[in-house]
Amino acid sequence: MALPKSHPVKPTLPLTYPKTLLPRREQIKDMITKDGTYLPKSLLHADLDKGFLQFVKEKFNIVSEGKKIPVVDIIITTQNWSQFVETWDFQNIDKNIEPPFLTIIRSPEVKYGNNPAVMYNIPNRRMYYYMEVPTWDGNRVGADIYKIPQPVPADFKYTVAIVCNRMREVNTLNQRVLETFASRQAYQVINGHYIPIINDGFTDESVLDLEKRKYYIQKYDFTMMGFLIDENDFEVSPAISRTFQVYEVDQRSKKGKQKKNQPVQLESIVYSYPNSATTNEYFFEYTCNLNFESTTNVTDYSVYINDNYYGDNVTLIQVNNGDMVKIDIVAGTTTQIPEIVFSQRLI
Amino acid sequence: MQNNVPITRLGKFFGDRDFELEIGMGQEWLIGDMNYTCVLYRIDKNKIKTDDVYGEVIEDGVKFLPPVEFNAQITVAAPENKMIGTTRMDQFEPGNITISVYLKTLQDLDVDIDFGDYIGYYDSENFVRYYTVVNDGRVISDTKHTYKGFKPFYRTIIAAPVGPNEFRGL
Repeated sequence: MALPKSHPVKPTLPLTYPKTLLPRREQIKDMITKDGTYLPKSLLHADLDKGFLQFVKEKFNIVSEGKKIPVVDIIITTQNWSQFVETWDFQNIDKNIEPPFLTIIRSPEVKYGNNPAVMYNIPNRRMYYYMEVPTWDGNRVGADIYKIPQPVPADFKYTVAIVCNRMREVNTLNQRVLETFASRQAYQVINGHYIPIINDGFTDESVLDLEKRKYYIQKYDFTMMGFLIDENDFEVSPAISRTFQVYEVDQRSKKGKQKKNQPVQLESIVYSYPNSATTNEYFFEYTCNLNFESTTNVTDYSVYINDNYYGDNVTLIQVNNGDMVKIDIVAGTTTQIPEIVFSQRLI
Repeated sequence: MQNNVPITRLGKFFGDRDFELEIGMGQEWLIGDMNYTCVLYRIDKNKIKTDDVYGEVIEDGVKFLPPVEFNAQITVAAPENKMIGTTRMDQFEPGNITISVYLKTLQDLDVDIDFGDYIGYYDSENFVRYYTVVNDGRVISDTKHTYKGFKPFYRTIIAAPVGPNEFRGL
């Protein structure tokens, strides 16, 4: 007879079995995709609902009479077939779900959350800097800037109901709930986010009518203080990887403002005829125009250039370099010394 | 020792022999013609396995005396389509069964029906539904349960359906 081995018998038998088939495939897929990106994972209504279902299955895993009390694995919706599919393995011959079982009810309305940790402080859901992730394109080091909007807090109200025939099962769930929520709150990690859950109390709706089938219904109310993040709102943009500064210079020669020559105003030429003289001449060593300005005690005058007659009472006399300009006058009747004034303009 | 006092009401035109005749004819109709049958599973209160604190039966802990088949007038209520409390879980709950049985039938079989006893009623050849007695109809002093005011002659027992986690028969 063979001797028993050192550990021939399992000290404990698992009452909950590892996942198989589709649940196992989903578990492996979750393992692969976990921490796949630097960005936080989406957290939407369905994710939070699934997280709460998982929370109930893990924390309120109750065994009664050697059997695990099943949990209805969905949030009951308006489609009855889904309820049937999820409960077929603990239905009776009438296709009615057979106590004991746990079910989760979610209030359809989800209100703006009260979790102070995720209350908004950035208005209008603007994107804000989340992190900078280094990149390498094979040649140079760069970075991507990840921006995400601020999460929106949302309170999800759940009710976990146990329907059973035995007080012991009621007691066990009550013990689990009170232990789990001894400090009023518990946490569930959903898509990498820690989500607090608060126990709001419980009610009893047991059916204890005399002439009806009797069973216990106890409902525990919970509030999941979650928040919503949609990965479709995330923004990844390349950061500045290299700075190349260029100064552009105007190569055209800059012309200065041309100076305008101010004409040199020569002094006026005054032909004066003192002592009853009637002729006067002036030799010009430059070329200019003489413009008549005024006369004093002169009635008429005649102009001669180099003894050639030029004109009478002319207002403009064109003079060349080396010209002798002679002007004869007819004096007026006053006693003033006759004068003719011309202004000069160099040509 | 219990005193027996003869019932003399309606004595000018009705008596024990008439009563027995009427009951006999009724049984002939119910048993001979109608032949509605149930199976009574009386709880063996000495052997049943229960929880020490709450007295609730544990899984497959119901022990019962030898089943007894008996005839009775059967009425099965319509099932109710409703939710279990406010859990949003739908169920099509079978209706209660109302069993009217002659006292003489129970006396002949030497059985009594108590609260909590289980009753099986065959819906079809291969399906029996079990009920637990929620009203054993023990109080039969009302005029309805007497034969024209002479003496009570039957009991009305109401039983509610049970699931297999509570009782699954043989």
